[in-house]
Amino acid sequence: MRTLDQIWAIAQNTLREAVRNKVLFGLLFFALLMIVSGVIVSSLSYVENARILQDVGLAAIRLFGVAMAIFLGIEVISREVERRTVFSVLAKPISRGAFLIGKFLGLTLTIWLQVALMGLAFAAVSLLAGAPLGAVHAAFLLMVAAELALVVAIATLFSSFTTPLLAAFFTTGLWLVGGLSRELRDIGAASDSAWVEGSTWWLHRLLPDLQSFDIAIEAAHGLPVEASQLLWALAYGTGYVALLLFIAVAVFQRRQFR
Amino acid sequence: MREERAQVVVVEGLEVEFRPGLGRRSKRILDGVSFSVREGEIFGFVGPNGAGKTTTLKVLMGLLRASAGAARILGHDVGETAFRRHVGFLPENPYFHDYLSARETLDFYARLSGVPVSERPERIERLLDWVGLRHAADARLRTFSKGMQQRVGIAQALVHEPKVIFLDEPMSGLDPLGRVEVRDLILRLRAEGRTVLMNTHILSDVETLCDRVAIIAEGRIRYQGSVEDFSAAGERASDILVAGLSVACGAELEEVCAAELRGLGERVELRVAEKHVGDALSRLLAAGAEVISVTPHRASLESIFLSAVEQEVQ
Repeated sequence: MRTLDQIWAIAQNTLREAVRNKVLFGLLFFALLMIVSGVIVSSLSYVENARILQDVGLAAIRLFGVAMAIFLGIEVISREVERRTVFSVLAKPISRGAFLIGKFLGLTLTIWLQVALMGLAFAAVSLLAGAPLGAVHAAFLLMVAAELALVVAIATLFSSFTTPLLAAFFTTGLWLVGGLSRELRDIGAASDSAWVEGSTWWLHRLLPDLQSFDIAIEAAHGLPVEASQLLWALAYGTGYVALLLFIAVAVFQRRQFR
Repeated sequence: MREERAQVVVVEGLEVEFRPGLGRRSKRILDGVSFSVREGEIFGFVGPNGAGKTTTLKVLMGLLRASAGAARILGHDVGETAFRRHVGFLPENPYFHDYLSARETLDFYARLSGVPVSERPERIERLLDWVGLRHAADARLRTFSKGMQQRVGIAQALVHEPKVIFLDEPMSGLDPLGRVEVRDLILRLRAEGRTVLMNTHILSDVETLCDRVAIIAEGRIRYQGSVEDFSAAGERASDILVAGLSVACGAELEEVCAAELRGLGERVELRVAEKHVGDALSRLLAAGAEVISVTPHRASLESIFLSAVEQEVQ
C-alpha cells in the first residue's frame, strides 16, 4: 500500500512538473493550431471537406502526441539524475523500481491529458464544421493513448541509462521502425531465403508493432472497428509496456550514481 | 559512558573502483574505508576535496555499490530500502524540484517516507518553523537563496523524524549567519538524541560540533577518534611572546630549549615544548627580556589533518 502511495506521489510530482514548466504548452499550442487549421485546409477542397478536416486533425493529434511523448520521455529519468534530485528521493525508503514506475505513470498521465485536450479541440472543430463524430473517433483517441504510453515506456527505458540525445535517437528510431514492422515481416515472407523470412518474422515479433494501434483510416472514414481488435491492441500495448518497464527497472537498479 | 553506546553506522573495508573509460585502468576511490558511528553523537567525516567523503556517503545511501567491504546502518545492509525511514540525508549542494514550494517539497518527501497523512501538516509546519522558512513556505524553490535551499534540504532530511542523519557539506556555500544557524540546527539534533554523520572540510566546524572524527585522504582513513584525542595526540607546547630578546639569549633558547623563534618586528614569539617552558622563562627573565604573554598551544585538528594529507602526497 505504501509503495502504491509512493508511486502515486512520484507520478503526481511528474505531472505537476509538466504542468508548471510551460514548455509543454508550446507544443500543445501548435497541435491545437494544426487541428484548427484543418478548417482552412479543408476549405481549399471542393469535395470531402469534412474528411480532410478530420484527416488533418487526427494526424496532428497522433504526431504531436508522439513528439510530446519523446520530448518529455527522453528526459524523464536523466533529468532527475543530472539535477541530482534523484539523490534525495532515492535516499528515502522508496525502491528504484517504484521511482521509475512513478515517473512513467506521471508522464503517461501528462501525455494523456494532452491527448484529451487535443481530442476536445478536434471534437469542437468537427462539430463547428459539421463533420461527423462517433464512437470510432473515441476509439482512435484510445488507440493513440495506448500507442503513446508505449512510446513513453520506450523513452523511459532509454532515459534510465543514457543521455537525452541518445534516448531521443533510439526512441524515435524504434517508433519509426515499429510503424513499419508489419511491412518488414511481409517483405521477408516474400523472400526466397528462409533466413531472411525467419529473421524478419522475429524482428516483427520483437519490435513494437505500432500498426496494431493504427485506426486512422477507419476514424477518418467513419468505418466501424471491431471491439476485439481494440481489446487485442490494448492487451498487446499493456504487455509490451510491462516488458519495457521490467527491463528499465532492471537496468535502473544496477545504475551507479557517481 | 559514551563508549558503551550502540554502533549505529558500521563501515568495514569499503572499496569503490571506477573505470574512467573502456580500456582504461580502473581508479580506486575508496580503499578499505572502515569506521563506526555511535548512537547520539555528531561524527565528523573530514577530508580534502576528492578524498572520498561523498563517495562514502553515496554508498551509505545506496546510490553507489561498493566493489568490496560492507556497510550497515542500524543493523541493516545499506542495499535494503525499508530501513531508510529511519535515515535522513542532505546531499551536497542539494537540488530539489524548483517548481515546488517549500511546503510542497516537504509534503512530497514526507509521502515518500511514509509519514501518515494525518501527521503531515503539523509536522511540516513545525519543521518550517524549525528551519526558519515559515515566511517563505509557499514560494517556489527557484526563488530561494542558497542558504534557504540548504535549510529546505535539512528540513526534508528530518521530515520523517529519522534516527540517523547524514549531512554532506552542510555549511557549503552558506554565509556566516547561515553557518551559525545550521550549526545550531545540528546541535539541536544531537540534543534530541539523534545521531549525525557530517561530511565536511571545514575543520573549525568539526572542532565546534563533533564528538568524534575520522580523517580520510585519497580514499583511506588516516585517523579516527574523539576530537579531544586528536588534540591530545599532538605535542603540547606554549607560545611565549617577548620583547627585548638579545641575539645571544635567542640562540641559547634555540639550543637548550629547542625553541622555535618567529620574529614579529621588535617582538619575538617562541614556541617551546611544555617541558621546557619553565626553563625558558627563567632564562628570558635572567637575560632581561620582557615576557608579554604565554599561550598554551595544542596541535590542532588542522595540523593533524594537514600532516595526514601531506603524508599522502609524499
